[in-house]
Amino acid sequence: MSSSSVAGIDIRDLRIEYPDRDRPAIDGLTESIAVGETVVVTGPSGCGKSTLCRAIGGFIPEMIPARVGGEITVGGASAWETDSSRIAQRVGYIQQDPDAQICTLRVEREVAFGPENLCLPLDEVNARVDESLAAVGIDHLRRRETTDLSGGEKQRLAIASILAMRPRILLLDEPTANLDPDGAKTLFDLLVQLRETRGMTLVVVEHRIRPLLGMGPRVLVLDRGRLVHRHPRERLDPRDMGLRTDARESRAAGPTGARLLSIEGLTFGYDAPLFRDLTLDLRRGEILGVIGPNGGGKTTLLRLIAGLAEPDAGRVDGPGGDSVGFVFQHPHHQIFERTVTAELAVDGPERRPGEFDRRLAEGRLSGLGGAPPLSLSLGEQRRLTLLTALRRGPDLLLLDEPFIGQDRRNVDWIVAQIRAQCARGGGVILVSHDVPLVGALAHRILYLGEVPSFGPPTDVFSELRAAGRDAFLPGFWGTDG
Amino acid sequence: MSVRPAMEAGLRGATPLANLALLGGLVGVVLASPSLVVRSAALGSVLLLAAWSGVPVGSFLRSLRFVLVFAAVLFIAQALSIREGAPLSGGIIRITDLGVLSGAGMALRFLVILSSSFLFVHVVDPDRLAATLIRCGVSYRYGYLLILSLRFVPFFQRELKVVREAQRVRGLRTSVRSLKGIRRAIRYTFVPVLVSGLMRVDSISLSMKGRCFGLYRRRTAPRPERLRSADGIALGSVALLAALAVLAARGGWT
Repeated sequence: MSSSSVAGIDIRDLRIEYPDRDRPAIDGLTESIAVGETVVVTGPSGCGKSTLCRAIGGFIPEMIPARVGGEITVGGASAWETDSSRIAQRVGYIQQDPDAQICTLRVEREVAFGPENLCLPLDEVNARVDESLAAVGIDHLRRRETTDLSGGEKQRLAIASILAMRPRILLLDEPTANLDPDGAKTLFDLLVQLRETRGMTLVVVEHRIRPLLGMGPRVLVLDRGRLVHRHPRERLDPRDMGLRTDARESRAAGPTGARLLSIEGLTFGYDAPLFRDLTLDLRRGEILGVIGPNGGGKTTLLRLIAGLAEPDAGRVDGPGGDSVGFVFQHPHHQIFERTVTAELAVDGPERRPGEFDRRLAEGRLSGLGGAPPLSLSLGEQRRLTLLTALRRGPDLLLLDEPFIGQDRRNVDWIVAQIRAQCARGGGVILVSHDVPLVGALAHRILYLGEVPSFGPPTDVFSELRAAGRDAFLPGFWGTDG
Repeated sequence: MSVRPAMEAGLRGATPLANLALLGGLVGVVLASPSLVVRSAALGSVLLLAAWSGVPVGSFLRSLRFVLVFAAVLFIAQALSIREGAPLSGGIIRITDLGVLSGAGMALRFLVILSSSFLFVHVVDPDRLAATLIRCGVSYRYGYLLILSLRFVPFFQRELKVVREAQRVRGLRTSVRSLKGIRRAIRYTFVPVLVSGLMRVDSISLSMKGRCFGLYRRRTAPRPERLRSADGIALGSVALLAALAVLAARGGWT
């Protein structure tokens, strides 16, 4: 074992099996991560990326029951034999949803939480709070309530609260999943800065790896718990790794002429206006992509179109009731029944014998008709919610961030459903932070930001380019705009 | 556009201990003193202190809607059920002065206890309260139990709203008029919200453990808070009401 790996992470023949699963989450993984190294772990949903992070952090099997084999050593200490709180002094673990890891109600209390648990003197605690808030650039938010922060601010707070523990290793589990492109870009810049100023070891689980390539990472590709590719930093191309769908092939035929939805002078806000005097329309066969910063009103626009909220001014003329299918961001919000088949039956009994089986086969859910929907993987749940929305044969399909946490196969399947919806003469409104995919799929794009912009993708991207919003251009994330 | 009160406005600037003393004092006074004057003064103090603390009176009363309705029910029930005393009305419905006074006293007591508790929740920062309790010797695990419980309140409100919208989108109707309807409502509402809650608990547990929560028996307590003028006003209010209660007892005030 090299001296560098002694202080880093050593994984030998790692095997992790969760109870009641038919295959191991990690199956015979061997890898060493040296001090100061940046490693990106990627691969399809359910490939074991998050399990790997949690094992390195010492949470498995201490907090998450699983049968474990092989060995993980972190800084020379065995992860199996060391309490996770002890490992936490070397390894900081940042989860996917920053909101779900905030324990207190004020920013500075949140950052002080870890050092206070270490029983450090009060002056030392305060010094670490100051230093960590400054490191992530949210010093000005220290007195704010944590519930008032934006998604990007919460992510920075989560990082600051981990930095205050002064770990040598940072594990980030899909840290950009809930961030808008600007927030994701800022986070990647922050990671570069942390590595350069603190020499931290970074292990980043990510689907969107192109912006990280500038850090010269080693890329590990997992599939079904096994390491299938190990890409050294000199040979990196996301297309070679099979990580991106080629959405250009997926562009639907295009609008057929008849107007499906018309929005005129739409104004809506809570404490402050989210958008004012918004006017747009959608034609049959058309895909409208909606992009923009977190909190810009994208989900609210979908709610207004679905009739779940009333506008302050203006009007929405379009299909309603059963003619609208709305797929929410988190699948579990839309799952109500005990079995997958019963879930499909919520929207009416089988119209002809074998209909449910056929639909489940279409959604790659064959054989799961009797399974509890909430026991399915995130990708399977997403496919189920899209199947239930499509079963009603909606004219208008509203999709809110359908690609979050989805691997290439699932993304391809969702894209195919979008194309089919357009081919049937329906319309689709697609809200997503995946700018390259939206840019390639949508016939027109609505950018909901400080200055809204609406039009063909090339026009909208030209405006965003002129406004210096690089993170909202497809080229930033991996395809030319 | 709504305006949020400043963090230090009114009782918000007082220490949690002073606010706790105010709450205890108000409750103690209305339980100990039978005088309507004292109970009315206590209720007036709560409303004044709420306004001073930047809690809009309208929204404060709105949050007390259920309490106000229940207080009215208490008043009517007492007024109708007590037969002793001089009659104020004849006929089938007999209302006496003693019934009205008893009803008013009970309704006022109920209103003061509940409204002062609401005010306490409005003005006390749970983080500061937990820190104060920990400094007073309460185990920090219980202190954080309080903070986490409060952290989950807005989360559950938000989740409930999303799940109800999901039901509307799917065309699901839930009714609580029959046993079957209640079972359906529980399954369609409670289960998705519970799933969200459990997922959130898992994440927060990892987050706390990942920052060494529970590693040692004690943890660093934040610096004690300095006393301010707001503390004087909170404690002074309690002292004034206590003095008024003593005067009422000596003077035999109603």
